[in-house]
Amino acid sequence: MRKTIIGCIIFLGNITQGLYAQELFVLTEPASNMPKGSIGIRSMNSMMFQKNGKLNYHQMPELMWGIHQKWMLHIQSFASSRQNGGLVHEGFSIYNKFRFLSIDDFNSHFRLAAYHRISLNNAEIHQEEIETMGLNSGNEIGLIATQLINKNALNFTTSFEQIFSSQKNAILFNKGLNYTLSYGRLIYPKKYTHFKQTNINLMVELLGQNLLGSEKNFLDIAPSIQFIINSQMRIDIAYRAALYSNMSRTAPNGAILKFEYTFFNLKK
Amino acid sequence: MKHIQKNIKIGAFAIIMLVSNQAIAQINKVEIRATGLTCAMCSNAIYKQLETITFVDSIHTDLNTNTFTLFLNNQNKLSPKDFKDKVEKAGFFVGSMILHYASTFSVNANYIIIAQKTNAINNTYKVLDKGYVTAKEYKKLAKKYKKIITYTANKETDFHLSEL
Repeated sequence: MRKTIIGCIIFLGNITQGLYAQELFVLTEPASNMPKGSIGIRSMNSMMFQKNGKLNYHQMPELMWGIHQKWMLHIQSFASSRQNGGLVHEGFSIYNKFRFLSIDDFNSHFRLAAYHRISLNNAEIHQEEIETMGLNSGNEIGLIATQLINKNALNFTTSFEQIFSSQKNAILFNKGLNYTLSYGRLIYPKKYTHFKQTNINLMVELLGQNLLGSEKNFLDIAPSIQFIINSQMRIDIAYRAALYSNMSRTAPNGAILKFEYTFFNLKK
Repeated sequence: MKHIQKNIKIGAFAIIMLVSNQAIAQINKVEIRATGLTCAMCSNAIYKQLETITFVDSIHTDLNTNTFTLFLNNQNKLSPKDFKDKVEKAGFFVGSMILHYASTFSVNANYIIIAQKTNAINNTYKVLDKGYVTAKEYKKLAKKYKKIITYTANKETDFHLSEL
């Protein structure tokens, strides 16, 4: 399994060499932050299929605030239709990201950031996979590296996730190690003319997890298309599918639809 | 021989100081090229920050080079730092900043011309300080101007200019 993951990483690394990328990914965050004083609102909708064909709908609205150019805060709420009786609010999370290194040049940058998420959730858990974004109560702490060169972006994240034991499920493993690799490329326009021009990015993300203290792993792939409208609004459409898994997961495959709007300079 | 060289150095320093006293107060146009971005949404973040500066009459943006040209009101007392701070608030950095001064000069000791050019464009200067050029360019400039104490001191209120 590890050889497969390393192989995928080397493969993705190779195909991006000599190319150059866009970094506003659908399932992972870049090391860059929002501008200071700006507020973003985001609606993340995921429609994931259970093995029996039942559709789980997750609605995860998010409020984002650029407190400082190096520091941003997200507050996110989680609701889902997993339990009978329609959409039920299940929990929320607080996410802080701090950008601590920027090596910028004309049309390129390399940036590093550290982040922390704490989530409280009362959803019932029927899987071994750990996910503090929408399912588990717990902490996640991680590092992000982003390389942007011309029209291409490459993003690498690694994080440690530990869940609290308060939820209604039988926890065998409560610690996980996550790793992601994302690649994005601006495909339209070839040449910018004005701010109102719609931009289109194509992206692919690999997302993996190892449950610490076990040989249990998964690796997912998520291709996506992103539309940036009026230089202020994002619409992302993605599909996430498991490439490999030897752990129990309730609904790993499905579509994701994400909307985001940025209010610049609400606080000068 | 050494004595002559020393005199030449003193003479050169005197010229620099003399020229610095001719530098100005009012900027009427600024061209800023930002680093670390390639997308229109990122450019928009910088644009929205620059727009908040009082006395900016209009901004022209070249999205392909991430160059912002600001036309300033003739009442302004803005300094290069006012523009740099706004670019950094947007999460990016200044890669180059070119100042166009109004034709009427007044004395300001904080602006020091350290690189002169024959056939220079009238009243147009590039800022050479740290944070106003790329990190790579600053490394070269720091070596070149290591004997200029004010340059290596990196005082935020002092601006070292090159004629264009």
